[in-house]
Amino acid sequence: MRVAIADDSVIVREGLARVLADRDVDVRGLAADAGQLLALVDAERPDVAIVDIRMPPTHTDEGLVAADLIRERFPDVGVLVLSQYTDAAYALRLLDGDEKGRGYLLKERITAVDELADALERIHAGECVIEPELIRALLANPARSDRLAALTPRERDVLALLAEGLTDRGIGERLWLSQSTVETHVRHILQKLDLPTGAAHNRRVHAVLTYLDR
Amino acid sequence: MTSLSWKVGAAVAFAVGATDVVLSAYQGVTLSDLVVGTAVNAVTISAGLVVWASRPASRMGVLITVWGICGFLADTVGLLPDSRLGATVGLPLVLLPSAVYAHMVLAYPTGRLVDRVDRAAVGVIYAAALLWSLPLLVGSNPSGCTDCVPGVPSLLFIGQIGPLRTIGQGFSALFIMLGAAFVCLVVRRIRRASPGVRRTLWPLALAAVFGGAQFIARSAANLFGFASWQETLLWLDRASGVAVPIALAIGVLTTRRARGPVGNLVVELGNVEPGGVRDALARTLGDPTLELALWLPDRGTWVDERGREIAVTETPTRAVTLIGHELAAIVHDPDLADQQALLEAAGSAARLALENERLHAELRAQLDELRASRARIVRAGDDERRRLERDLHDGAQQRLLGVGLALQLVRARVPDGEAAELVAEAEQELREALRELRDLARGIHPAVLVDQGLGSAIKTLAKRSPIPVGVSADGERLPSHVETAAYFVVAEALANIAHHADAGHVDITVRRENGSAIVEIRDDGRGGADATGSGLQGLADRVRSLDGRFSVHSPPGSGTCVTAEIPCG
Repeated sequence: MRVAIADDSVIVREGLARVLADRDVDVRGLAADAGQLLALVDAERPDVAIVDIRMPPTHTDEGLVAADLIRERFPDVGVLVLSQYTDAAYALRLLDGDEKGRGYLLKERITAVDELADALERIHAGECVIEPELIRALLANPARSDRLAALTPRERDVLALLAEGLTDRGIGERLWLSQSTVETHVRHILQKLDLPTGAAHNRRVHAVLTYLDR
Repeated sequence: MTSLSWKVGAAVAFAVGATDVVLSAYQGVTLSDLVVGTAVNAVTISAGLVVWASRPASRMGVLITVWGICGFLADTVGLLPDSRLGATVGLPLVLLPSAVYAHMVLAYPTGRLVDRVDRAAVGVIYAAALLWSLPLLVGSNPSGCTDCVPGVPSLLFIGQIGPLRTIGQGFSALFIMLGAAFVCLVVRRIRRASPGVRRTLWPLALAAVFGGAQFIARSAANLFGFASWQETLLWLDRASGVAVPIALAIGVLTTRRARGPVGNLVVELGNVEPGGVRDALARTLGDPTLELALWLPDRGTWVDERGREIAVTETPTRAVTLIGHELAAIVHDPDLADQQALLEAAGSAARLALENERLHAELRAQLDELRASRARIVRAGDDERRRLERDLHDGAQQRLLGVGLALQLVRARVPDGEAAELVAEAEQELREALRELRDLARGIHPAVLVDQGLGSAIKTLAKRSPIPVGVSADGERLPSHVETAAYFVVAEALANIAHHADAGHVDITVRRENGSAIVEIRDDGRGGADATGSGLQGLADRVRSLDGRFSVHSPPGSGTCVTAEIPCG
């Protein structure tokens, strides 16, 4: 897999490049800001671009802006945004429009390279990846517990993985369930939470996150 | 007004009246003409003398007196037994009273012509009033002319002049124009006058417009030869002559009424509230536009009664009167300047109150400064928090991540066993450290507040709260200092509720009302919160530093409602 890395910290981007190279990931280039990254993506067409959310000049949300530009100009390139914020608002902004091939992880995930490599694979495969800690925080919110009371414990497990962006198959593998069982669970969950079923399959992570963030 | 001036005025009136009576006996003038003419001149001269004596600073008295004397001379010379000298002196005097009248009206109430246009107009009027008689004095119409001006038996007579009639018509036309210009100037004065002046000006202006109109009518009658109107117009002339002293009297009386006695000021100042001295002075001096300036020696500046810095400069439309030594100044209508005695009396009466007022103004100025510096300190604190948060992110966090990445490389090169376990332990520790660092940075200054706004930031706070929280906030962005203050109000209130309130539910609303952001945090806990506790007190200080309002409503047993209202301006 070919990746491009953008981070304004030399320590992080060089270190990340080495760790990924160690895992036989083909790092095609490093960028220090959004402008450099776009040029790099244009030249190298990597499978996934890894972007720090805070970069010069304002150090606020340049990573999200860059992600949108990449999606617009190079629809085949996946984007993984690394962030230090567990606020759902950022993740929802990233998923706005189309959630395929997009990921939002806490930056400290890069210190667990197995998880990072797994996320890159999923994004490359067109899945959506959302930071598990963010989902945990959303589900732990006491204000939500009333609304989730209708779900069975199993359904809650499925909901968490659904929100993390896993496919039905991915959920099945994690929970040792058949795909058809997962599909049934998902349908029930969406019905109970009064969320649209079926049609907008590629928007379901966004729908669930919006619901949980409400 | 001294009793002497009254006596002089009465004596002159008597003398003038007596002269007229004697002279009219020679001429067989009708009684009505005599009474009216005498009354007008006598009253005018004595009124002029009285004003002159009582207000020497104003030139008004001189002008009124001169006007009356001119009128008297013009009438009297006309009554002299026919003689070439009488005609030579008398004819140029006929229109002089009208010119002095115009001068006087336009110069009222100071007696000085301030405006350049007024001055030019008065100059032209004098010139016209004196020159019109010259052709009549030096020549006469050719004989045999029926409706011509009769020849005047003057000392300057030279002979017959052909176009004499045309010249007379030209002057009549000029008088119509000058009359119209005079009326326009009077109207312009009224329109431009300050409210205080206007109140004293309008009776005279009314009389002057009437006088101007009848002058125009008289000139028109001369020009077009409406001889039958002459009698009516003569009476109108006299009426307008009488109208002026009446108008002046009304003006003086209303001025008196508008300007209460200084004694009232003393009484009023005894009960005046801080900041009310200006109003009391404005009432006493009859100038609603009056401004009060107080001198603050420590700062070397003038301030108003609210402690705001103001400029004290004399302009053509504003006069300045200083009170006391480096104490205060009144900026007022220049019309008041000729009432120096009243100003000084009012100033000394107000002295003690002004000392007091100055202390208040000084206090207010200091308070404003204090408030501004408090706001600056809070903002500087917020900026510092933001910088600290960024430093944590750019410095420590990146280095720890670098260590984490290095550990990844180490683990890939260490065979399974004790060493690998130790590396895994280190990784775990490191992730904990990173998480704590992240929470610390968020506590110092939440980036989501800057990036996504107050609504998102409060939602995140709500999600972290152990008690269910309902949030109602629209996505509208507010000024950053308002968002920061509102955020910390919510954060602190939620922390308080979690620790003390024993609540089952919290509702947070953020709304915008009348240019302010209103944040309300309401819980259903046990109430009885101590609003003077350090947490709530800190919030109150923060909100008030932005000129906002902060309140805690917490009756025992019925929950607590914390409300902050922060102006967004």
